[in-house]
Amino acid sequence: MILIDKNTKVIVQGATGKMGSSHMKRMIAYGTKIVAGVTPGKGGTEVHGLPVFDSVREAVETTGATTSVIFVPPYLALDAGLEALDAGVELLVLITEGMPPQDTAKLVAAVKAKGARLVGPNCPGVITPGQCLIGILPGQIFSPGKVGMISRSGTLTYEIALALTDAGLGQSTCVGIGGDPIKGMGYQELLQMFNDDKDTDVIVLVGEIGGTAEEAAAEFIKKNVKKPVVGFIAGQTAPPGKRMGHAGAIISGGKGTADSKLAAFKANGMHVALTPAEVAKLAGDLLKTPAKA
Amino acid sequence: MSSVAASTAVNGFTQEDRTLDLYEYEAKKIFSEGGITVPPSHRITKPEELAKVHFGFPVTLKVQVLSGGRGKAGGIQFANNLKEGKEKAAELLKMVIKGSKTESLLVEPKLNIHRELYLAVTLDRERGCPIFIASAEGGIEIESSDKVITMPIPNPYHPYVGRELARQLGFKGNLLVKVADVATKLYKIFESKDLDLAEINPLLVTEGEEVLALDGKITVNDDSIGRQRYFDGWQERHLLDVSERERRCKMIGLNLVELDGNIGILCNGAGLTMATMDMVKKFGGEPGNFLDVGGGSDTEKTLEALEIVNSNPDCDVMLLNILGGITACDEVAKALVSFIKKYPERTLVVRLRGNNQELAEKILAESGLKLIPDIETAVKAAVEAANKVSKKPVGAKA
Repeated sequence: MILIDKNTKVIVQGATGKMGSSHMKRMIAYGTKIVAGVTPGKGGTEVHGLPVFDSVREAVETTGATTSVIFVPPYLALDAGLEALDAGVELLVLITEGMPPQDTAKLVAAVKAKGARLVGPNCPGVITPGQCLIGILPGQIFSPGKVGMISRSGTLTYEIALALTDAGLGQSTCVGIGGDPIKGMGYQELLQMFNDDKDTDVIVLVGEIGGTAEEAAAEFIKKNVKKPVVGFIAGQTAPPGKRMGHAGAIISGGKGTADSKLAAFKANGMHVALTPAEVAKLAGDLLKTPAKA
Repeated sequence: MSSVAASTAVNGFTQEDRTLDLYEYEAKKIFSEGGITVPPSHRITKPEELAKVHFGFPVTLKVQVLSGGRGKAGGIQFANNLKEGKEKAAELLKMVIKGSKTESLLVEPKLNIHRELYLAVTLDRERGCPIFIASAEGGIEIESSDKVITMPIPNPYHPYVGRELARQLGFKGNLLVKVADVATKLYKIFESKDLDLAEINPLLVTEGEEVLALDGKITVNDDSIGRQRYFDGWQERHLLDVSERERRCKMIGLNLVELDGNIGILCNGAGLTMATMDMVKKFGGEPGNFLDVGGGSDTEKTLEALEIVNSNPDCDVMLLNILGGITACDEVAKALVSFIKKYPERTLVVRLRGNNQELAEKILAESGLKLIPDIETAVKAAVEAANKVSKKPVGAKA
């Protein structure tokens, strides 16, 4: 597993909001070690039996949390993220959708300067099945096992996790990196972590049209990743020039096509799946193959 | 730095998906307010208004459109006197370039060009930060130029970054200071107005070493418009080139892209919608649209989305694929019950799975609608139904 496990102590920023509160409840029910909530002005109250603090600093000093999951509205997300960083939080999982990309760029720069980690924004979160769920992923779809997954999508991540779980293939950790063009952790950093993780035997990379991150990831895999990687691209039939829901999902100026990404996957020794069911099939076959020495 | 990096950066954002691209005259107004010198200008919507132009002839007449390639399409003309100007203006006002209608004409004095540059600020998705893109050669297709410099912009910004850019472009002395100043002002505009792109092309250097923005382009970031009071109401009047249905979706926060086929697709989440669309095509069907209702949609929003897909005259079959994470299946089920009551004859294939699925099944029990738990089965069923309904080959619409 990577990033999170059963001992990860998590605070919830935006814990008293509708979304923060309902997902906090679900994370607690899943078994995640949620230790506190943070909402400025609501310090001293409780949510789901846990203390609420006015500041992240107070929450971290009191509980020893190392991770924060952020549910605040988009225009407050930069402030919330910087507050968490300043309080020493090591891993930020930013669920918020619609964050201005210039704010994201500023947060990404601050995260790098601190040596911390950011997942998101506009992401479903991270799950190490059976141990820890951070974000909005539906826990019941996932199961513990040997497949590591990195994905730019939310519901498509669930679809593929479901296909894996239905095929009897559990997951070590699944990371939804988010659909925005500017974001925190990317494919390469996570590929390296999965490559070094003893609990992961096969890696699934779920990309989509737009940008060139998948092409760069494919080259990185050829050079640095010893484990087999299954690649999937959403938007194989997307028309150029149209933004397909995600801010980052657009074929523009001939760049960012599914064809280019799938070609890069093939050229760099990855295994290409064209449907969620094929992802599960390939991952299953690869798990049966003895690992390279 | 290679031009590949630059064009990736330029194209990394939504230039073609012009939800809030600004007209040249609007961009220049913003440049001017930000302290960048622009030529004197006068905007007209009727040829007669040319008589009011205060700077005399010869003039340049430029169509105001939201599409690129204006010069090549003949949208920029010169006129030496009022008579010639009126004739040309009448023609230009009728122009449609790549589907984009001429909104007005911008009239400017015809300037003597000594030297042209390209200067832009945008966000680079690969590097995750704003960058300058500049070229000592302007008025060109920046994507195809190999003399392009890109420079990451540190946060917070300091004016030395602009000076370094001007130095790398080969400027010295007085002009170095002036070009650096324009770069700094352009970045400030980019940052303060939450832009995806602020571009001056060309940035003009006159014989007298004056530096002014001769043409410009601004793209405002969609997600930031809510905090930019300056652009209040602009979005609606810039949605001229999209379909009525696309506009309706935009205003209620649904993502719709019109396609040519007869299977109306409605899913939650962009990735899942794309994957569903891909599978429809893979199994022999033709998607009629891409519609992402987003996460956590309630009954009302889902119903509105169903109505929009239903209103496509080419749609023969509707395929709903909802995998409920934050979206509760029972909310979707309630919308479906209302929809089926209203349109009992509509062919509907529904895959609904996830959060509150049992509740959804109860709600839908009376409607007779069968829920398909698996995506592949659902897609195949929709394709089969669509091929039965429509014997006409797709694309061969009357």
